[in-house]
Amino acid sequence: MVNVENLNVKFGENHVIHDVNFIVNQGEIIGLFGISGAGKTTIVRVLTCQIEKKHWTGNVKVTDLSPAKKTNHSLILTNIGYVPQLELLNLYFDLSPIDNVEVFTSTYGKNKKEAIKIAKSLFKILDLPEDTWNKRVKHMSGGEKKRLSMAIGLIHRPSVLFLDEPTTGVDASKRYDILTYLKKLNQTLNTTMFIITHDLESALICDKAAILREGKLLEFDTPQKLISSLPSKGLVARFTVEHLNEKLIDYIKKFSAIKTLLRVGNEEIEVLMDDFEENLPKLIQYMIDNNIKINSMSKDFASFRRYFQIRIQEEEEKEKKFKDSEGD
Amino acid sequence: MYLGGLVRKEFGRIRSNKRTLLLLFVIPIILIVVFGLTTGVGITKLFTSAIITCDDMPTYDDFPNNSSKYDDTFISIMQYNTSSWDLYRYYNATNSEEYDNAYHNCYNFLKNGDIHIIIILPANFSESVENKISPVLIYYIDGSDLAAITAIEVAIQEPIALFRAETDMIANFTMMVPYLEFDVPFWESAILNYAIPIILPIIILGTTINLTSLSIVAEGPLPRMLVTPTAKREIILSKLIANSVIMMLQSTEIFIMISFFGLYSLGSLFYFFLVLLMIGFCGICIGLFISTLSPTEQSANQMYLIMFIMIILFSGSVLPLNADLQGVQIFINLLPLSNAVPLITDITLKGLFPNLENLFWLNLSSLIYIILAYIIYMFKKLEV
Ligand SMILES: Nc1ncnc2c1ncn2[C@@H]1O[C@H](COP(=O)(O)OP(=O)(O)OP(=O)(O)O)[C@@H](O)[C@H]1O
Ligand SMILES: [Mg+2]
Repeated sequence: MVNVENLNVKFGENHVIHDVNFIVNQGEIIGLFGISGAGKTTIVRVLTCQIEKKHWTGNVKVTDLSPAKKTNHSLILTNIGYVPQLELLNLYFDLSPIDNVEVFTSTYGKNKKEAIKIAKSLFKILDLPEDTWNKRVKHMSGGEKKRLSMAIGLIHRPSVLFLDEPTTGVDASKRYDILTYLKKLNQTLNTTMFIITHDLESALICDKAAILREGKLLEFDTPQKLISSLPSKGLVARFTVEHLNEKLIDYIKKFSAIKTLLRVGNEEIEVLMDDFEENLPKLIQYMIDNNIKINSMSKDFASFRRYFQIRIQEEEEKEKKFKDSEGD
Repeated sequence: MYLGGLVRKEFGRIRSNKRTLLLLFVIPIILIVVFGLTTGVGITKLFTSAIITCDDMPTYDDFPNNSSKYDDTFISIMQYNTSSWDLYRYYNATNSEEYDNAYHNCYNFLKNGDIHIIIILPANFSESVENKISPVLIYYIDGSDLAAITAIEVAIQEPIALFRAETDMIANFTMMVPYLEFDVPFWESAILNYAIPIILPIIILGTTINLTSLSIVAEGPLPRMLVTPTAKREIILSKLIANSVIMMLQSTEIFIMISFFGLYSLGSLFYFFLVLLMIGFCGICIGLFISTLSPTEQSANQMYLIMFIMIILFSGSVLPLNADLQGVQIFINLLPLSNAVPLITDITLKGLFPNLENLFWLNLSSLIYIILAYIIYMFKKLEV
């Protein structure tokens, strides 16, 4: 559905995307994760024909068409949908949802009646109350606007839908609603979805997670596989340590089986180890022997959030070492 | 073709913008009604005159058949028959001393604002009429009020026309302050008709620019349109179409309103309506130009204000302009009011065919604004 080979994007001297490769199949949900400036939006803008060819190189195919060719743009844009981050950029607030559907249908040159039928079925899937359909969008709640925005992105039945930060600015409980709706749409319509997001919870519904850092694609795989690539398949021990400080952390780190140690709270640390089951008792013993007071302890599998943190931290350390060695 | 839906969308957006629509359709009504009512229905005498006759044997009031007969007719018309004039004083002066005295008095009346005009009928006035020679008529008006001059010059045509009808006169008057001789009386709504050439274009330009100047900057989902197969030029074309239709409705409304309140156009009403449309179209082009040029709504509002002030200041109606530099003249010509005012004046007050040069510049400026808007819009970076 979407193929990206050796994608490089340069704005003048600014090399923004470095050798990115990935393949996306029909019906997959892809999460694009990365801290601000990582290049998430830039990749999506290449895929949605918004960056001129002179700025990028590589072999890119969206629904088997290359955005490199200007003549393909109109076809690609018919095959894809886009849901911007802000509803203000996607909806005419002074028009009703049905009028909005009409406007955007006309931009795709599709049949109006059919589009309204599709829209109504989408509204139903998304639980948009029927009495809001003909009232101005202005009067809808934030969550309803968000869902309407998603429906508008789908009225022309695109095979790929791009969503920019669909859960940002939505309160925690609603966030899961949005994700559930997206999954529901994905399953009913078999639409391929790209979700640009800072919200690591979104990985819950993603078939593949792409992790970007400074324009490089660090990982591209299912969240489960990524997590289980951690030492001991991602088992994590969590300790609450009294009077935790940097010195103490350095001391604990000296325990040789520890692969990664993260400070996750004021007095909390999480530890990843090789041979977890075997080494956990040894670690506890080591801490007791050294008069480190453990207030509580638990074990669990790492969340995607944790994985992301570890992976980025790892990369930062690698880079630092590389720089230090260069300095010598 | 995606245009249909886009145009409908524009209508939807315009419809939801109640305040602008109110301005567009209600302001003209208010202004026209106010000006229309100000003129009254012909009961009020709008102007006051003093007349000095120089014929030898004036016998006004008891009409003997002598050589001052036509002086009397004229004075009587001034006093009783006109709808727009009142006679304040009448003097007969057969020698220079009497004349100087009479003139001196009238001069003071004029100065104090008691009268608007001093009309002088020279010694051979009645004889000229009798012998079918163009009679001479001299008049003095207060030159300090530019607006009043034209109104008075227009209104003086009424008694003249009445006089000619009364006396079956074929010869023209020779005016000592000649302007244009009108054949058709149109004093019924002198103020309205006098105000039209300047007020109307200002209303139309002000409201149409206001209508369109936010139509691009204030449209949030516009960049998102570019992630659909819609072309940029279709977007701008749909705006031009929808706003032009609204503008046509406004022009029609204005046209009907002023006809109702007694527009008496000497020239063709068709040309008059056509010129209204051209002015409105120019307003829309300027509005779209402002809208593409402005990065934010606030700056669009500021530009609207600046543009509007420039249009009025350099219209030639506020300050008498006579640009020697060609560049400056072109700049002035590209501001629509400088062409719109003379065009409407020519048609309604003078009954002329619209001046081709004015027509050319008015439409050229529309074209330039819309092309600029298009170019700027095409190069504008819009990102979702
Ligand atoms: N048109 C451009 N010209 C120059 N540099 C650009 C341009 N667009 C993006 N960049 C740079 O590319 C880098 C990646 O930007 P991008 O918007 O893709 O990040 P992002 O991952 O989407 O970040 P965020 O989460 O903040 O949206 C940034 O450093 C940005 O400054
Ligand atoms: Mg971004």
